[in-house]
Amino acid sequence: MSGEEEENASELKIGEEFLKAKCLMNCEVALILEHKYEQLQQTSEDPMNQVSQVFEKSLQYVKRFSRYKNPDAVRQVREILSRYQLAEFELCVLGNLCPETVEEAIAMVPSIKTKGRAHDDDAIERMLNDLSLIKKFE
Amino acid sequence: MQLHPRHFGRNLRENLVSKLMKDVEGTCSGRHGFVVAITGIENIGKGLIRDGTGFVTFPVKYQCVVFRPFKGEILEAAVTMVNKMGFFAEAGPVQIFVSNHLIPDDMEFQSGDMPNYTTSDGSVKIQKDCEVRLKIIGTGVDATEILCIGTIKDDFLGVINDPTTA
Repeated sequence: MSGEEEENASELKIGEEFLKAKCLMNCEVALILEHKYEQLQQTSEDPMNQVSQVFEKSLQYVKRFSRYKNPDAVRQVREILSRYQLAEFELCVLGNLCPETVEEAIAMVPSIKTKGRAHDDDAIERMLNDLSLIKKFE
Repeated sequence: MQLHPRHFGRNLRENLVSKLMKDVEGTCSGRHGFVVAITGIENIGKGLIRDGTGFVTFPVKYQCVVFRPFKGEILEAAVTMVNKMGFFAEAGPVQIFVSNHLIPDDMEFQSGDMPNYTTSDGSVKIQKDCEVRLKIIGTGVDATEILCIGTIKDDFLGVINDPTTA
């Protein structure tokens, strides 16, 4: 598998399949999994027995590491980030980690600064400001 | 998706979907990572009867949430175990090992009830249940899980939250 060798998320090399796929932030996954879990709770008495260990662990993880809990805030985050011509994967890393400075954002997602992309420091700064505003008013 | 003939009838579709969920959710592959949850069925094709067994195979197209860590990706994880070789952290179903070579040089291992890595001035401590931000530098897949190698030796990586001091 030659593709596997070259995988490098910092240059956005994550395989064609995943570039095309929709990428979800932790907080979005939390909403989906919780919804599914609630559905299971209604149909069976012992929902914890129904779900796989992977499901359980993933749910715990995304709950612990979600920056935004409120569904409206989650929607806003995606809306704001999607204005900045980011790849799905970049959008999610930014939404998950919520960097505070431009420098930090570039360290987390180096691909936003690669050539041919229209992201100067000002644009990134504006994006981060927008993000922190959502957090404040959540 | 293979289905036994006893499930045929009015509830064919439901049986197919519930079998799919049981079989696929929680599995793991190198290409797609962990299948966490099936979120929707796109379509179910025509069944094909297997000669000699009576089993019928249906092509099912479905959508699901998968979890796949990438090399070079930065993510947050909870520390589960610390020893002198380094520490283990967990991001959902994925295990991540950070070797002591990939922990900043100014952090020293301290053994005891709560083994940990601490900076010389004691300001930063990595121990069980800490939350750390790390970068994945390698992934390995076996049949049931994904093991990653991570590093915290880079700018903006390291402990983000220590529940014992908060």
